[in-house]
Amino acid sequence: MTPVLAVSFDALTSAGFWIGVGVLAGTYAIFTLGLQLNVGFTGIINFGQAGFMAIGAYAMGILVVRAGWSLWAALPAATAIATAAGVLLGLPSLRLRADYFAIVTIAFAEIVRYVAQNARGLTGGNQGLLGFDDEWLDLSDRILGWLPASVQDQFLLPLLIVVWIAVALLTGLLMLLQRSPWGRVLRAIREDEDAARALGKNVLAYKLQSIALAAALGAIAGYFLALNLSFLSPESFEPQFTFIGFTILILGGLASYVGVALGSVIIWTLLEATRFVDLPLAAEKVAALRFVIVGVALIVLVAFRPQGIVGKREEMVLRD
Amino acid sequence: MTDELLRVAGVVKRFGGVRAVDGASFGVRDRSITALIGPNGAGKTTLFNVVTGFARADGGTVVYDDREVSGRPAHAIARCGMVRTFQITKALAAMPVLDNMTLAAPRQPGEHLVGVIARPRAARRRERAVRARARELLARYGLERKADDYAGTLSGGQRKLLELARALMAEPRMVLLDEPMAGVNPALAAKLLEHVHALRDQEGTTFLLIEHDMEVVMGHSDRVVCMAQGRVIAAGEPEAVRSDPRVIDAYLGGGAER
Repeated sequence: MTPVLAVSFDALTSAGFWIGVGVLAGTYAIFTLGLQLNVGFTGIINFGQAGFMAIGAYAMGILVVRAGWSLWAALPAATAIATAAGVLLGLPSLRLRADYFAIVTIAFAEIVRYVAQNARGLTGGNQGLLGFDDEWLDLSDRILGWLPASVQDQFLLPLLIVVWIAVALLTGLLMLLQRSPWGRVLRAIREDEDAARALGKNVLAYKLQSIALAAALGAIAGYFLALNLSFLSPESFEPQFTFIGFTILILGGLASYVGVALGSVIIWTLLEATRFVDLPLAAEKVAALRFVIVGVALIVLVAFRPQGIVGKREEMVLRD
Repeated sequence: MTDELLRVAGVVKRFGGVRAVDGASFGVRDRSITALIGPNGAGKTTLFNVVTGFARADGGTVVYDDREVSGRPAHAIARCGMVRTFQITKALAAMPVLDNMTLAAPRQPGEHLVGVIARPRAARRRERAVRARARELLARYGLERKADDYAGTLSGGQRKLLELARALMAEPRMVLLDEPMAGVNPALAAKLLEHVHALRDQEGTTFLLIEHDMEVVMGHSDRVVCMAQGRVIAAGEPEAVRSDPRVIDAYLGGGAER
């Protein structure tokens, strides 16, 4: 008789599993850095981060596959396109109150996803878009060649290294910006827009910069997602990924960039490890249960440690 | 009159069918302390909002320093040197007191993304000067020991002082104070008034303040403007305004025929 509940620890001790988790955690750490900039430091609620991720990833894919660009030229161009999309979305809608803006962003992200699903000539629709990563695979092989012989079978290892270098660089850059007078204005806007306005700060311009930078970060996360999967399909950009981002944000702690990386590692370890919990249930029920576990963990966290792992409690309780 | 720093002419502000400000006109002389008085609902705060760009007027003009500012956004008006405070203090609670102060300083290249990256040394130099100025002002207002505390931990009176000090960091030529004494203990209120006088005398700052305490209004302002039902009903020397029958009437509940 098979046991009712069995966990296979074999998977958890394999290097391949942890490399996979690491790539996902790094990708969504970059994704969530953008949310942290918006939600944690500017006070604008962005539910459309998956939409910016999709714009970045598809712009890169389309430029390479359909327009024949080099991947290395397509990356900065796609980042610029996503940034412009952030400004375009923000210009009319950032004048709305925070909660209405949140509704607009989620609608925006869904519009992007539906366009990706239906503009088959460009995006390949649900069949997906393939063949944009040849240049990356060449580089990946070269990086693998520099590494010791014992890890040669871990073909995702170069991506893991590159994604975490990107996480470190972007976290550092954002922390630098946050400590600057520019970051101080953002925090003031988060606390009280009218006070910032009364002191001569152009609130709309700062919010636009915040959303544009978040869009760029979403796009960068999109490239790593695309390189990890080797193909792009609309279902990678469903709204649930934005909410996983928010879970990471709250777990790591609002208004902390370091917490984002930490939160992302914990969430993706949980999400991936629970795949191996053997339950006498149908596969789709097990998949749903994983999100139940994450949800319960989030409720417990908000109840007992609302500032997250490394957030500042004062910044949570001193709101007027 | 050429020595007027602010000129409000025929300003109208409607909320639906209610005319909160209904053709208000008055001037504020340069280097004066002018009190804006009137019963509740007279439209004083709404007028403040229109003058400082927080609300768009439905009619009339606001001229500050010979420039028409009506219709311009609030941040642009503040940068012209006309800075306001709020009736309910807007201390940035989850930011340290010192950051509240340094935030308000103008001409900081590090406040722009390009400046942060391209001119880090200019930004640091400006930041040093701004911090020194902030500490100096905090010391003058008795808040130096609170500099590193979160602004949310200050008492109501200390918040009023912080708001005034913060407004001064913006290097204003004119300060609009919306009920600066409300909810402040008498000792602190006296100190606040002392500061207002000192600023006017030493730096030539112009003040327009909304106030309800008649003792403060009569003893500390050069000119008084009285509003009722959205209109200016009297303006002039404090004594003259106090004895104006229309003012007495408005305060005793206008329309009560005797």
